[in-house]
Amino acid sequence: MATETEALQHSGRFRLKAIKGRAFEAILIVATLVGLVALVMLFGFMFFDAVSPGSASAEWYLLFFGTLVGPVSAFTLYGRRHPAVRSANARASAAVFGGLALSLSTFVVLKAMSPYGPLVYLITVGSLPLAVAAYGRYTGSSYFVGPAMVLATLLAIVWTLGSEVLLVPLLDATFELGNQLLGGVPVLGSVPVPVDRGLLVFAIAVGLPTLAVANSVLRRQLSLDRLLVVVAVLLLSAAGTSGLDQLLRPYLEPLPLWAAYGGVVGPPVIGLLGLVVTRRRGLRSGLVAAAAAVGGALAVAVGALTISVNPRLLVVLALGMGVPTAYVVGETVTTDPDGRVGVAGPFIIVGGILLGAYIEQSLSVAGPDTWVTPTLLVESWDGLFPTEAGAYPSTVGSIMIVGLMALMAFPVGVGAAIYLEEYAPDSGWRGRLASVIELNIANLAGVPSVVYGLLGLALFQNFLDYGPGLVFSASATLGFLILPIVIVSAQEALKAVPDSLREASYGMGASRWQTVRSVVLPEAVPGILTGTILALGRAIGETAPLIVIAVATATSSAPDGLFSTGAALPLRLFAASANFDPAYRTGVVAALAIVLLVLMLTMNAIAIIIRNKYQE
Amino acid sequence: MSEPEPETQTESTDEQNESASLIDTHVTADSETGRPRVHGESVVEARNLDVHYGEEQALSDVHLDIYEREVTAIIGPSGCGKSTFLRCINRMNDLVESAKIDGQLRFRGTGMYSDEIDPVALRRQIGMVFQHPNPFPKSIYDNVAYGLRVQNETVTDDIVEEALRRAALWDEVKDQLHTSALDLSGGQQQRLCIARAVAVDPDVLLMDEPASALDPIATSKIENLIEDLSQEYTVVIVTHNMQQAARISDRTAVFLTGGELVEVDDTATIFENPDDQRVEDYITGKFG
Repeated sequence: MATETEALQHSGRFRLKAIKGRAFEAILIVATLVGLVALVMLFGFMFFDAVSPGSASAEWYLLFFGTLVGPVSAFTLYGRRHPAVRSANARASAAVFGGLALSLSTFVVLKAMSPYGPLVYLITVGSLPLAVAAYGRYTGSSYFVGPAMVLATLLAIVWTLGSEVLLVPLLDATFELGNQLLGGVPVLGSVPVPVDRGLLVFAIAVGLPTLAVANSVLRRQLSLDRLLVVVAVLLLSAAGTSGLDQLLRPYLEPLPLWAAYGGVVGPPVIGLLGLVVTRRRGLRSGLVAAAAAVGGALAVAVGALTISVNPRLLVVLALGMGVPTAYVVGETVTTDPDGRVGVAGPFIIVGGILLGAYIEQSLSVAGPDTWVTPTLLVESWDGLFPTEAGAYPSTVGSIMIVGLMALMAFPVGVGAAIYLEEYAPDSGWRGRLASVIELNIANLAGVPSVVYGLLGLALFQNFLDYGPGLVFSASATLGFLILPIVIVSAQEALKAVPDSLREASYGMGASRWQTVRSVVLPEAVPGILTGTILALGRAIGETAPLIVIAVATATSSAPDGLFSTGAALPLRLFAASANFDPAYRTGVVAALAIVLLVLMLTMNAIAIIIRNKYQE
Repeated sequence: MSEPEPETQTESTDEQNESASLIDTHVTADSETGRPRVHGESVVEARNLDVHYGEEQALSDVHLDIYEREVTAIIGPSGCGKSTFLRCINRMNDLVESAKIDGQLRFRGTGMYSDEIDPVALRRQIGMVFQHPNPFPKSIYDNVAYGLRVQNETVTDDIVEEALRRAALWDEVKDQLHTSALDLSGGQQQRLCIARAVAVDPDVLLMDEPASALDPIATSKIENLIEDLSQEYTVVIVTHNMQQAARISDRTAVFLTGGELVEVDDTATIFENPDDQRVEDYITGKFG
């Protein structure tokens, strides 16, 4: 009897617990749903405002159902039963749409800036690290190559810009600051610049790298080739002080425009293709693939020229989208007989859209009365009618600002995280310094963005005397803003790499740098990229700091360089929302928000593709 | 000596019997091969070695020689400093900032902690296998080639094959060299770690409880492997498994709590006729 009652009591208790648990679960589900419903409503409103789907005719829906929705659904259903097809489809879609997004954004940026400037960068910033690598291979010691590469890249960037842009303002600002500080002391008064400014810049820019290289290269042994290296660095830094950009540009400008576009996009794409194919199939196939890519791009250019179409965009698309697509399709068709069909996926989508658009045009089917129009995407704002509202300069400005920001902030952020996690000691004054820095970085991640705007204003406009609202200042300000996020997330990713792997590497006689490069970083890349995605998403929508550093709300043309006045989509959105015309406040704002979101999602998608590639 | 509690006593008698039988087999094996008890050149010499982790003393005044082409086992209870000693030999303790090392530790006559020794260069001479299998998340081939690559040596398929053969792993993995090393079983992973360590042809091989995370079959494979490796390498193995020490080692060093090296001698002597009462207590299971 006793045992029976006990059992009953137990089951009763269990039932009570189950009810509590269920109730808790239900509350959690409700909480999730509230968030989800709010998001869906937000996007729904925005979508309806921007596209007004109700205004499309039934024929239009039928048409696109037939050309796009139907085939894509059928293909998706087929893919669900064949995992190989699905993964081939994912790879092909990544190549087609990722390539398309990258090509288009590269193209608009190059078009805005004229491709000669980036071409100079590619040549200088590319050739210096390559020279270091070649020197390392030639001397047979790769001990110094890694750090020297980083140094060479940085020097190449500084040298390309030259002293006029980077060193002189910095020097002026330093003297200015010194005078201001000393001016507070009555006896000293202001101190004049001791020597000619140009001479000082020259001494710093040429003397420092040359002495550094001479010290490290010549100290151990004096030989002709080592002496040549020092002379090369001396000449390069002398040329760099006046700006490699100005030196090289006259030689490049006779090139036709399309060749300059190809020159910027081609080498990275073809180099990457050659490397990947070489690793998989050997050097011969790699060279053949690279040659085929060059030939294809040239064929596209020649073909376009013969029918007198401007080949700029076509060359960029052929290299940026065509090459990766061809590689993925070719690899899948030859090596993956099960998944072969999957490569058709992206073409069904693209073909469906094109076919639908063609029929829509030729039969003049009434589509939706949308605000997301070609005008919005490729024209600048004429300031008069909402239907003529164009956001092209702002879109290009946003791409440039965020792209340059990523280029500046990620190396610095990841580098700082690597130092703090892998190199910084735990004890001693350096250890204390490192922990103070770490604490500050964690706090900086929470500083309101408008404060970063003030920092940008003080640093670039007041201290360095740059003009208001430059692309470079905007990128750097946003870079400061996301730096703590990048550092903290990269640190977390590095912390998650098990110590046993580090020990294994050290135990094999690897140096710290080798361990970081070949064991720790590859393991941490997915985690670092997750933080990257968050930071990018935050930066592209950031408005307040851009207002503070006076980025224009609307410009009539896209920024034509890193040091020209920029514009950004969130600011354009903000300006439109304050317009007195209600058509702006509902339609244009919603359409702009869609453009902004698509831009953000594209960037995230690219980061996610890279992350998944590393997680394999 | 105080009377141990009854429970401990029964346990210890069991273990005593077990270890006694194991010693017998070892001794027979020894007499069969007739291995001479003359030691080779001493590779590692420790003199007055003290290690502190902050305030805590991990090793105290250790004198120990490790001879060429012998398997030296280091046994002792948990926390007695046996792993610390091992990690001093390839300067892995440099990675622990609070570690402070005093005294002499010589590798082939050169002071290991002198200024002209680069720990990275030293570790290229002294390979290490860890307690838990820790292959890199790369392919099997790249795991074996890692050491050669970081040391700027040419990687050839022959070297990789030879290393995998020495680790008795070649036949199991020869068809999947380019698949991930993480797909292997635990025992295979540990043998891969051994292959990785011998691929660079080190002078000394350190093993920190290499079989403690493995099942009995994998353990016996590792033990056979260690006996084979001792033909070519000087092996130092830390183990908390006394039977294992008795089975595979030529010499045994016993550390006890406080980081004190109590006794070091031929394995047979340590297990049959130790000088120190505490060693006898430890081996028979009365203590530790």
